[in-house]
Amino acid sequence: MKSLWLLIKKNLKLLIRSKSSALIIFFAPLLIILILGLSYNTSAKYGLNIGVYSDSFTADVESFIESLQEQEFQIIKYEGSLQKCVDDIKLGVVHTCVNVPSNLKIEENQAKEITFYVDPSKVNLVWMIQETLQKKFNLKSQEISEDLASNILTKLIDAKTKVTQEKGKLASANDKSSSASSLTETAQKSLAALDLKWPTSNYDTNVTTIFKNNISTEIGKSKTDLAAALTALDESNLSSSEKSAIEDKIDDADDNLDKIVSLVNGTGVGSFDKVSDLIDSLQADLTVSTTKLSKASEAVSSASASLTSTTQSIKESISAIESVQVGLEGIKTNLESQKVTEAEVITSPLITKIERVGQANTYLNFMFPALLVLVIMFSSLLLGTTLVMMEKNSPAFFRNYFLPVQKATFIFATYLTNIIITLVQIFIILGVSLFFLKSSFLTMIPLALILLLSATVFTFLGMALGYIFKSEETGTLASISLGSFLLFLSGVILPLESVSQTLRKITFFNPFVLSEKIIREIFFFNSPFNAIIIDVLILVCYAFSLFLIILVLETVLQKHLVNHFMKHHHRKNRQKDKMKKNHA
Amino acid sequence: MKLIELKGVRKRFKNDLVLDDVNLVIEEGDILGVIGYSGSGKTTLLNMISGFIEPSEGEVLYTSKITEEPININKKLHKVKELIGFAPQHSSFYPKLTVVENLLHFGQLYGLKRETTVNNIKALLQATNLHSHRNKLSEHLSGGMQKRLDISCSLVHKPKILILDEPIDDLDYKLQKEILYFLQQINQQGVTLVIASHHLNMLETICTKIAIIHDGTVKSHGLLEDVKKPFLKEHFSINLTLESDKEKILSMLSRFPAKKIIDQGNNIIVHPSDTIRSIGNILQIIEEEKLYLHDMDFRKPTLNEIFEAITQEEVKKKE
Repeated sequence: MKSLWLLIKKNLKLLIRSKSSALIIFFAPLLIILILGLSYNTSAKYGLNIGVYSDSFTADVESFIESLQEQEFQIIKYEGSLQKCVDDIKLGVVHTCVNVPSNLKIEENQAKEITFYVDPSKVNLVWMIQETLQKKFNLKSQEISEDLASNILTKLIDAKTKVTQEKGKLASANDKSSSASSLTETAQKSLAALDLKWPTSNYDTNVTTIFKNNISTEIGKSKTDLAAALTALDESNLSSSEKSAIEDKIDDADDNLDKIVSLVNGTGVGSFDKVSDLIDSLQADLTVSTTKLSKASEAVSSASASLTSTTQSIKESISAIESVQVGLEGIKTNLESQKVTEAEVITSPLITKIERVGQANTYLNFMFPALLVLVIMFSSLLLGTTLVMMEKNSPAFFRNYFLPVQKATFIFATYLTNIIITLVQIFIILGVSLFFLKSSFLTMIPLALILLLSATVFTFLGMALGYIFKSEETGTLASISLGSFLLFLSGVILPLESVSQTLRKITFFNPFVLSEKIIREIFFFNSPFNAIIIDVLILVCYAFSLFLIILVLETVLQKHLVNHFMKHHHRKNRQKDKMKKNHA
Repeated sequence: MKLIELKGVRKRFKNDLVLDDVNLVIEEGDILGVIGYSGSGKTTLLNMISGFIEPSEGEVLYTSKITEEPININKKLHKVKELIGFAPQHSSFYPKLTVVENLLHFGQLYGLKRETTVNNIKALLQATNLHSHRNKLSEHLSGGMQKRLDISCSLVHKPKILILDEPIDDLDYKLQKEILYFLQQINQQGVTLVIASHHLNMLETICTKIAIIHDGTVKSHGLLEDVKKPFLKEHFSINLTLESDKEKILSMLSRFPAKKIIDQGNNIIVHPSDTIRSIGNILQIIEEEKLYLHDMDFRKPTLNEIFEAITQEEVKKKE
């Protein structure tokens, strides 16, 4: 610890006693902040001159020009020639030239082209112009697309209304079809319920003949029996009166039997033949009826089949109508689910209304994070390189080899010297910032810590360069080049959006970008620590890795450096000898 | 007591053999001078003794009362770092820190308490005459002061051994003497010194031991007297004021049985076969011819001469 402090003390003394380095260390950051503070402590608009060319300065074009003038841009109209406008960019009269079509309404299915000419050699200005004017064009473009969208929406709403109307008719057709279907079904059921089948039993017409014969036989037998009864009666001991009475009755019965016989065998009215004829007649009628019924039954079957088919068709028709209805319902629901029916909302779902997050700030505020990192980066890189080079090229470097001090102590001493100086710079910068930016003092504490972390990374980078390069000049040049490279790929000079996708991903790991991002989040948004922890950790990893690299470099290169040192001094000595000889 | 021992040390840079089979022992309290031409491997040897460079073969062992067991410097450098002080060829301190700040910085980084460091610094500032300049930025010091500060930075933690690479290079004679005197004082306080330099005459004045390196090989090493011993061939030098007298004496000397006569401008170095007789004869000639004798020196060989003799011998061997 004592060694560390002794080395730091020595480093600081050496730096301060070298007037130029003392000036750079303490006054350069102050001067930078002062100059930039005075220069950019304003919120005035960009002083852009815009040339507008159009075939005819119609109301559309004039309204566009008016919107540009609202932004305090200086507008110069070019009515005669576009070339004149373009030539004026080259001369610096205007910063951009916009070729606007006289009519901005889209009447056919073709977009209107608005061309603006810029000077690509003024890269930053190009981006600024593009960014600023793009917003204006977007507004105009939005206006036009609003009209187009409005038309489309009107047509959609009409369609919705018509669908609703047609849907009613379809429902009615559906009802009717359902009703027809049900009637058909009923009829079909009724027809199906008819039993037109003739009973299958046979009617034997011989029965009547047999019946007639049997009756005749039985009557004959009865007559015989009656004759026998009369005989028996005659022979009986009955009185004649009694006999007569019985004989009368038997004679009546015999007469009745005769009458029955005449009925059975006769052909007159009431005779059995008539009944038999009637039955025959019925039989014939029945046969005819059977034929007719059979035909009716066939007709019913045929009608029933047709009705089944009709019912099926009606059902399918109903199903189709229902499907159409469901479809229409879906379309309707779909159309109804479109809650956004305002063309303005549809054309600009994300309103590009520009509002400042937080307080309205000056350009210095916006530049502040980049500016802080810029100063810290360059001073740390250069100081890191300078301190290592100073030690490497110092006559005392050789003696350090014999000191019982560890390599890591030397590295830490150089690092801490740098950090002490950077701390002074940070105090100066943040102190001046408090005056210019009127920021809260509390915000400055985390800012100072992050700046220290950034300074650590950049110091180690600078130190690594110091170890790698031989001469102070090349080392300084290398650290300036590295700083410029990191700055160039930071988005401060050129927007990162302009670089390729792969490179853009890499630039996110640029320590400058990381530091600036963290500072911006703390300074503008007071983000909590967990929002910046990943970036902070990446920076910590950088610092740790670089320390290890430096340790390896120091170990590998030390002897080489001492040899180099000895050679260098040997060469110097020879030159001295030569000079002495020449003098002599 | 043995402090550092190099055993069969070899160092290769890629295919270039910079040091070959170096075996050296440095004992506590020694002032070892490492001498050799540029590129002979002096700095590499010092870097290996300090543990900064690892040998390709062999080992550098460190023993002291603290470490007890011999320690391979390259394997356990951290254990002996506090016992070693190293002052490289070129100043190694922070130019933008003052003298005291530099000393305090390094002293405390060695883990000394502030009070101890301050006391050490006081003593060092007195010894190096930097006390009045203690609050000056180091870059504003003169070359000599910077060298003294550099050595002080290496001594602030009171190491057991101080390794110095060309400590008096680029300094004027006076400053060289001052630095060497300072180093002698340090040695008297018990610090073992290993000094690499090509200022042989100056080294000779303070070193107790010498190691001569040529083409990556230690050609000779040991106590200064022991190193000189093989080269102790008696000779003398004659310094005559007039050029005409020098010509006369050279022609006379050619008649005497001398092994070697070296003309060094004003000086004539004579390696005679019979020293006493030769000196008598020469003095007789000078008297008879009435020559103006400025100086006559009868002495042992210098380190410079020994070094030249050894290296030339090596060159001849190669040829």
